[in-house]
Amino acid sequence: MTNDVIKEAVAKQQSGDRKLAADNSILGKVMTFNIGEQVYGIEIQYVTEIIGMQHITKVPHVPNYIKGIINVRSKVVPIVDIRTRFGKPEIPYTSRTCIITLNFNDIAVGIIVDSVADVEDIHTGDISATPENKNVNTNDFIQYMIRGEGDNTKLILDVAKLLDEQEA
Amino acid sequence: MAKIEPGMEAMLDMYFFETNSLLEQLDEILLRTEQANAFESDDIKEIFRIMHTIKGSSAMMGFDNLSVLAHKAEDMFFVIRENPDVITDVSFVYDLVFQVSDSYKAQIEAIQNNIGGEYEQMDFGELTDKLIKARDKLNSEASGEAAPADAAAPAAGSGSAPAPAGGSDKVSVRVYFEDGCQMENLRAFLLINTIREECSFLEFYPEDVETNAESSKEIVEHGFLITFSASDDRDYILKQIETALNVQSYEVVTGEVAKPAAAEPAAEAPKAEIPPEPAQQLQTEKPKPAPAKAPEKPKAPTDQSIEKAQAAVASAQQAANGGSAQKQSLISVNLAKLDALHDIVGEIITTESMVISNPDLEGLELESFNKAARDLKKLTGELQDTVMSIRMVPLAGVFQKMNRIVRDMRKKLNKDVDFVMEGEDTEVDKSIVDSLQDPIMHLVRNCMDHGIEDDVQDRIYAGKPEKGTLTLSAQNASGEVIITISDDGAGIDPEKTMNKARRMGLLTKPESEYTEKEIQNLILLPGFSTNEQVTEFSGRGVGMDVVKANVEKCNGSIIIDSKKGVGTSFIIKIPLTLAIIDGMEITVGGLVFTVPISTIRESFKVEPEQILRDTGGNEMIMIRGVCYPILRMHEKFGIDTEVTNLEDGILLLVETDNKSVCIFADRLIGEQQVVVKPFPKYLARYNIKGEGLSGCTIMGDGSISLIIDTNTLIG
Repeated sequence: MTNDVIKEAVAKQQSGDRKLAADNSILGKVMTFNIGEQVYGIEIQYVTEIIGMQHITKVPHVPNYIKGIINVRSKVVPIVDIRTRFGKPEIPYTSRTCIITLNFNDIAVGIIVDSVADVEDIHTGDISATPENKNVNTNDFIQYMIRGEGDNTKLILDVAKLLDEQEA
Repeated sequence: MAKIEPGMEAMLDMYFFETNSLLEQLDEILLRTEQANAFESDDIKEIFRIMHTIKGSSAMMGFDNLSVLAHKAEDMFFVIRENPDVITDVSFVYDLVFQVSDSYKAQIEAIQNNIGGEYEQMDFGELTDKLIKARDKLNSEASGEAAPADAAAPAAGSGSAPAPAGGSDKVSVRVYFEDGCQMENLRAFLLINTIREECSFLEFYPEDVETNAESSKEIVEHGFLITFSASDDRDYILKQIETALNVQSYEVVTGEVAKPAAAEPAAEAPKAEIPPEPAQQLQTEKPKPAPAKAPEKPKAPTDQSIEKAQAAVASAQQAANGGSAQKQSLISVNLAKLDALHDIVGEIITTESMVISNPDLEGLELESFNKAARDLKKLTGELQDTVMSIRMVPLAGVFQKMNRIVRDMRKKLNKDVDFVMEGEDTEVDKSIVDSLQDPIMHLVRNCMDHGIEDDVQDRIYAGKPEKGTLTLSAQNASGEVIITISDDGAGIDPEKTMNKARRMGLLTKPESEYTEKEIQNLILLPGFSTNEQVTEFSGRGVGMDVVKANVEKCNGSIIIDSKKGVGTSFIIKIPLTLAIIDGMEITVGGLVFTVPISTIRESFKVEPEQILRDTGGNEMIMIRGVCYPILRMHEKFGIDTEVTNLEDGILLLVETDNKSVCIFADRLIGEQQVVVKPFPKYLARYNIKGEGLSGCTIMGDGSISLIIDTNTLIG
């Protein structure tokens, strides 16, 4: 989803026009997954598939969050551990640990997540912009948020930044 | 500046391919005939045909300047073709045609580099003027020569001479286009345009094909009737008609097919004799003498004309069939498709071994399964070989270009040099051929410019033949192709090289420590050029290092072998193909690495007393009197392993580019043919490739092995 769409959705919610504010159309779908207690999401169009944890071949001379490469039906796919990427402590992989393979601009990458949760619709009324706070590291990778019931807010990852970001 | 016409982009690729191959063909003919110093009539026809095709396709693509240029060249060759004896100054013609060919290549390259954008339209005015002058000159010579030679011969003057009455039969041809090819009228019009220049007399029916779309109906029903003068090169015209696009068939109708009669359906057209045409009607352009074979003979009498026409048709068909059979046995395929095919075959082979050595099958009695598996293995092996061979192209194309370069330089530098080509039919992978062209060209130029002595006297003093020799050879040797470019010139002067390197500040150790080989290798460094004078061909100091880089890009290596006063050889070694290599699998910790077998000299166990340690604690080993450094893989790549004692693991002596190192691994697994896959794009930003790994491969069990790049591992 482009940033314009998000802005428009946020603007609609805040608009005085009741009709606009009440608009709750579906903008797309996200796949949600858990990392620790937090629920994250990735827009479904970037997701290629979900595969179980498998042996990862280490590759030297790469940052520690790149765990290595795996063979997905004769395609070599690099694997990023989201936990390490976001600076969270590593935990042992369990039977629920999954690899979600993504494809963005022909760059294929797999990400390791604690567990996959759900696929759900994105409603215009639920979208929130991220707070303008440059101190929070993970903000760089969050494009926007989806409010759920109670505290259940999902952070939607900006795949472009996740994959394209230049190493400083 | 000009732009490519919209809608034409789709055809550009085809145009470039076709025109470039035609130009290569042209160069080849020119070089061949120049050596023989004579044009065969076949060659002239071929050149004429090439120019003609280029003219047509350039005009179609909207490249007017190219079309005009080809047209003028064609005009010139027209005169030559009609009067093969006319060329008195052969080299002048050659230079001109080579210029045309070069201009073409330059313009095409300019267009190719700016597809979709604007390209610079070159001005060939000067060249076309030259061509026109040449044509006129040849023309006047021709008429001067031909007229006195045989009074009975049709005068080949400039247009006013009446054609011989006896040779003025008309030949009518009814052309049928393929069913449903659409726009028959325009196709007919194109056809007319193609043969117009060949005919001193030309009529066709329906006449309004260009403007009247309705005429296609007529053409579909009754065919397209073309009548031309029989004194023209009939075989040629018939061949043109036959090979024209979408022409299904044609028949030669010899009969009373004057304009009104042609309106009737084909079946009714009476097969009568053509009345001799009054000579005055033939006053179009310059009448041509009949085909070269019998210019002085008048055409066969009319009652034989049917027979003759049939013979002509037969021979034309034969020629066309011969030609088309050859053409049809070759197709051009997009390289991307071949790459895809290649990838799939690689995957099939991997998957096959996954199936055959599947752990689920362990311990089972599978007699017929094993038999089937063996058959499958044999077939996939054949499949792989075939796919590999598809990608192989001979080096001849590259070699031919060098021939051309040598020719030009021979003239410009005024050096008498024999160019010898050997093994040009050696085949290598297409992608390698492409990246080899520049390095070879550079080396050939260097040999011509710097290698061969400027002064013939120097050669005579040195006891060498006056004529220099430049050899370009290629040969296959155990999975590698070895290309050698050697001259018998002055060789590399170590002293000069040293002086130069010192001046440029390229020396990295005391001068006395440099071996002869190392001194020779200095010329491969960036910024090095020994020639004091920068010439048109070489000496800018960008070059040898680029040559080296290009060769290394295709996993090759370059060796210089030179002796002062005797000559220089550049030896390029490249693998046959990049995609599949024979590898030795080794393990380090939990990781599997593949070492290209071509780089492994030996592998061995080591005893503790063989190990030497220098003051810095670096380990070395002495093998047959030579000391090699030891590189511990687990340290290099930061891998945890239990095998850290040198005597517990295994050492592999690997060598590349005259550099050697012993790599230390846990153990050997075995030999395997592996399909090289590049690292994923996402990892491209990290410097993996610069650190001793060239790619990865998927092994039989589905796991991934990393391929060692011996070059960067040592360097």
